[in-house]
Amino acid sequence: MADTLVEVQKQEIHGQDHEHHDQGFVSKYIFSTDHKIIGMQYMFTGMLMAVIGGYMAYVFRMQLAFPGISVPGFGQVSPGEYNSLITNHGSIMIFWVAMPVLIAAFGNFLIPLMIGADDMVFPRINRLSFQVFFISSVVLLISLFVEGGGFGGAWTSYPPLSANADYNQTQLGASLWLIAVALEFVAFLLGGINFITTLMNSRAPGMKAYDIPMVCWMIVIASILFMLSVGPLLAGAVMLLFDQTLNTGFYDPARGGDPILWQHLFWFFGHPEVYVVLLPAIGITVEVMATFSRKKLFGYKLVLYTAVATGVLSFFVWAHHQFIAGIDPRMANVFTVTTLLISVPIAEMLFVMIATLYGGSITLTTPMLWALSFLAEFLIGGVTGIFLGASGADIYFHDTYFVLAHFHYTFFPIAIIGTFCAFTYWFPKMFGKMMNETLGKIHFWGTIIPFNFIFIPLFVLGMGGQHRRIYNFEHFPEIAGPEYFQLREIATIALLIMLAFQAVFFFNVVMSWWKGEDAGKNPWKANTLEWTTDSPAPHGNWPVEDLPTVYRGPYEYGHPDREEDYWPQNLPG
Amino acid sequence: MSENNEQRDEHGHDDGHHVNYFKIYLILLVLFGISVIGPEVGAVTGLRWITLITAFGIAFVKARLVVNNFMHLAWEQRIAKWLLASSLILLLLFVAGVAPDVMNHEGNNWENVAAKQAVERGLAAASGYSEEEAESEGPLEGVIASGFSAQNSFGQICATCHGVGGEGDGAAGAALDPAPASFIDPVFWQGRDRDRIITVIRDGAAAVGGSALMAPWGALYTDDQLEQMADYVMSFRPNQ
Amino acid sequence: MAHARPIATTRSATGIPTPRLAIWWILASEVVIFGGLLGAYLMHRIGHPEWAEAASHTQTWIGAVNTFVLLTSSFTAVLAHQAAEKGKGKEAAKLLAFTILGALTFLMIKSYEWTIEIMAGYTITANTFWSFYYTAAGLHALHVIAGAIIMGFIAVDAYRGRELHRVEIIGIYWHFVDVVWIFLFPLLYIAK
Repeated sequence: MADTLVEVQKQEIHGQDHEHHDQGFVSKYIFSTDHKIIGMQYMFTGMLMAVIGGYMAYVFRMQLAFPGISVPGFGQVSPGEYNSLITNHGSIMIFWVAMPVLIAAFGNFLIPLMIGADDMVFPRINRLSFQVFFISSVVLLISLFVEGGGFGGAWTSYPPLSANADYNQTQLGASLWLIAVALEFVAFLLGGINFITTLMNSRAPGMKAYDIPMVCWMIVIASILFMLSVGPLLAGAVMLLFDQTLNTGFYDPARGGDPILWQHLFWFFGHPEVYVVLLPAIGITVEVMATFSRKKLFGYKLVLYTAVATGVLSFFVWAHHQFIAGIDPRMANVFTVTTLLISVPIAEMLFVMIATLYGGSITLTTPMLWALSFLAEFLIGGVTGIFLGASGADIYFHDTYFVLAHFHYTFFPIAIIGTFCAFTYWFPKMFGKMMNETLGKIHFWGTIIPFNFIFIPLFVLGMGGQHRRIYNFEHFPEIAGPEYFQLREIATIALLIMLAFQAVFFFNVVMSWWKGEDAGKNPWKANTLEWTTDSPAPHGNWPVEDLPTVYRGPYEYGHPDREEDYWPQNLPG
Repeated sequence: MSENNEQRDEHGHDDGHHVNYFKIYLILLVLFGISVIGPEVGAVTGLRWITLITAFGIAFVKARLVVNNFMHLAWEQRIAKWLLASSLILLLLFVAGVAPDVMNHEGNNWENVAAKQAVERGLAAASGYSEEEAESEGPLEGVIASGFSAQNSFGQICATCHGVGGEGDGAAGAALDPAPASFIDPVFWQGRDRDRIITVIRDGAAAVGGSALMAPWGALYTDDQLEQMADYVMSFRPNQ
Repeated sequence: MAHARPIATTRSATGIPTPRLAIWWILASEVVIFGGLLGAYLMHRIGHPEWAEAASHTQTWIGAVNTFVLLTSSFTAVLAHQAAEKGKGKEAAKLLAFTILGALTFLMIKSYEWTIEIMAGYTITANTFWSFYYTAAGLHALHVIAGAIIMGFIAVDAYRGRELHRVEIIGIYWHFVDVVWIFLFPLLYIAK
C-alpha cells in the first residue's frame, strides 16, 4: 500500500512544493494533517482491504460451487477456514471498506473542499483517526494468522458462539477481531466529530444551511447516526471482550447474563449502520445526477428532510434482525410496522432521483452510468427487503441465501457502485487527470452484469430454503439437488468474471494517472466549490486571501438568465 | 438563538458569570448528604420508595445542577441542548426496546429457564441455606440430573453429531472434519476401552490426542453418570 | 506552518466556538456509551433480585467519600474556568492542579476499595453483578485517568498563559465525568 500511496502523493506534491518549506516525505504523506492526504490514506487502505475481502469471497464461493476442490491461490478450505472467511469477508467489507471509503475518504476529501474551508477543524485529531483506523486494520489482518485461525462466528458475532472459546475454537482470533472492530469504531468517532463540527462551523461566508451540497449533508447525517448508535455497542464490545478473556458471564444466562442483550446492542448499532453507509452513497449519486442532467436537484429540502427522517426512523427498526431469536411477538409487530415505514423515505429519495433526471440533458459519462445503476440495483435490494421486514415471511426467509442476496443488493450498490461513482466523478479533482472513458465503461458493464448473475441465483436458492451458513451442501442430500448446484456454479463463475474486470479499473487508474489528459479546474462544469480550485487542490485548498464566498445553492444548472448552463456557487451577482 | 442572546444580556456576561459557584457547590453537598442518609432511613422504616427517591431522584437533580451551572448548558445555544437531549432520548428508546426481552424472564411464548434458575439459585444462596450446594449445581446439571438416563442424555447431547444410532451420522456432524466417530464400526473399537471412552466424554477428544471438535462434557455429568454414559456408548460396539 | 491552526477552526457559523461544539458532540456520544452499559445493568438488576445480596457487599461509605471528592474537583474545575476567563492563567493552573489532585485521590480511594473487595473474593467473575460493577466503574475510572492526564497538559499551558480557552473545554468534560459518577453512585452503592 505504501507504494501506491507514494505514487498518489508524488503526483500531489508538484503543485505545492514551492509554497511550503520542505517537510520530507514521511511528515508530508504518512503523518500529514492535510484533509486530502488523509482522505487518500483512507481510500487506499479501504481499497486494499476491498481486494482482501474480494479474495475471501472468491475462495468461499469456489468452495460452495465446487465443494472440496483445492482452490487456486488458497488450497483446500476446511470448515473452520470457511467460517473464518465468511466472517471476515463481511466484517472487512462493511467496517474496513464501506465505512472508510464512503464516509472517511470522501468525507475527508470533500467536506472542506465543498464548503470552502482550508482544512478540517481539527487536523491532528483527523490524523489520529486515520492512525487508529490503520492500527485496527492491522490488528484484523493479524487475527487471521494467529493460532486457531481467524474468528469464524459471523460478523454479527453472537454469543455464546463468540464468547466461549470452547465453541468457536478461536480463542485469540475472536478477541483480536473484537478489538479491531472496537478500534475501528473509535477511529470513526474521532473522524465523525471532525466532520460534524467542520460542517456546522466552518462553512464559507454566505453558505447557508440550504446551500450545502447534498453529499456533505449526507456524510454528516451519517456521522451523527453512527455516533449516536455505536455507543451501546462499544460498551457491549467491552463486555464481550471480558466474557472472552476474563470469563465473566455478561451473555451467559446461567450466570445471570443474557445472550439476547448482545443481539440488541449489536443491531441497535447494526441497523442504523446500514443507513450510515447508504446516505453518503445517495448523496454522491444525487450530486452526480444533478451535474450530468444539467438540472437543479429536484426538491433539495425534501431530500434533506427525508434523510433526517430516515436517520430518525433507522433507530426504530433494529429488532427486525431478531424475529426468530425469541423476541416478544408483540415487539415483532411493532418492528415490522416501523421497518415497512422506513421504505417510504428511501423510496422518496429514489423518486427524487428520477424526478431530477426527468427532462434533463443527460450525458452518459462513466460516473453517470454508475449513478443510474445505483438507482436500478438498489431498488431491487430495497424491494426484497420488504419480504424480510414482515415478521411472518421472515420466519421462512431468515438465514437463507435470500437474506444474503437481499443485503448484497443493498450493500453492493452502496459500497461498490457508490464508491466507483464518486471515484470516477472526483478523480479529476484528486489527481488532476481525466479518467479514460472507454476503459471506464468496459469496467462498468463488466461489473454490473456479472453482479446480477451472482445474486439473482442466490435469491432463488434462498427461496428454495438453502441455509446461508452451510459449508458443503453435499452433506445435506435432501437440499443438494443438481439444479441448486448449477445455480451456485453460475454465481461463482459470475463472481470470477466480475473480479477479473476489476483489473480494468486498476489499469485505468494507473494509466489515467500517468498519461491522462489534464483535467483543468472544472472538467464537468459543475457548480460546487471544489471545482473552483486547482486540480489537484493545493495544501490549504485555496490561497489564504482568496477563500471562496458563496452566493447561491449548489445545483443552479440551466438558469434561464445565463448564457452558460451552470452557475458556480462562488460567482457574485 | 436570539432568545439565548437575550438571556446572556440579562446576565451581562458571555457565560453567565453571575452564577455563585460556591452556592451551587453547597447545594450539591446538601443533596449528596440526603442521598446518603435517605436509604438508611428507608432501610430503617422499611419504606422502599424513600430509597428510590433519595437515591435516584436526587441524582437527577444533582446532574441537572452540574450540567446547567458548571457546564453552562443553560447559557449554551439551543443546538447543544438538542443534541444532548436526542442522545438521551435514543438511550431511552434503546432501553424500552430491549427491556421486554432482557429484563423479563418470560414472554408471550417463551421462557428464559436458565435465567430463572440463576435467580432461584441466587436467592437460595442469599437466604443462607447451604451456599456450596447451590453453587455446585451447574447450569445444565439440574436439567439432566432430574431423571437421568444415559439413553436420553445421549439423545440430547451426543446424537447431534454421533447420531441416535451411534453411526456418526448426526445432523450437526455432517460438516465436521474429521467426521464424528461411528460406534458401530469395529475398527473404531480397536484399542479403545471403557476408561478411554470416559476420559474422552469428560475431557474431550483433544485430551487423548483426538479432534478438538469432540468437546469436553465433564461439567454435565457426575462420575457415576459418566460411567453410565460410557456403558451406553459401549453398547453400540458390534459383537466380535 | 506545521501546526498552524487552519482558518476552518476559527470560523463559527453556529455561534458556538468550534472546540466547545466538539466537546458537546463528544459528550453526546459518551452519553450513549455509558448509557448503554448502565441501561443493560439496570435491566439485569431488575430482572435479578438475587443481586441485592451481592450489592450489599459494596462499601457505601467509600463510594460516598469518592462522590464528595469528585464533586469538589468539579467545583475547582469550574473555578479554574472562571479564572481563565478573566485571563488569570496562573490561578487557573493552580485550580486545575487541585482538580488533578482530586482525580488522584479518587483513583487512590478506588484502588483501596477494589483491593478490599478482591481480597474478600468479590472478583469480576464472582457474579454478574460484580462483572457490571467492575466494568462500569472501570470505564468511568478510565475517563478519570484520561481527563487528569489531559488536564495536566492544559494546566501547564495555562500557567504560561497559553490556550486559556481549553480550560473551559476540559472543565465541561470533567463535569460530565462527575455527572456519570453521580448516577453510578446510587446504581452501584446505594440501591441495595
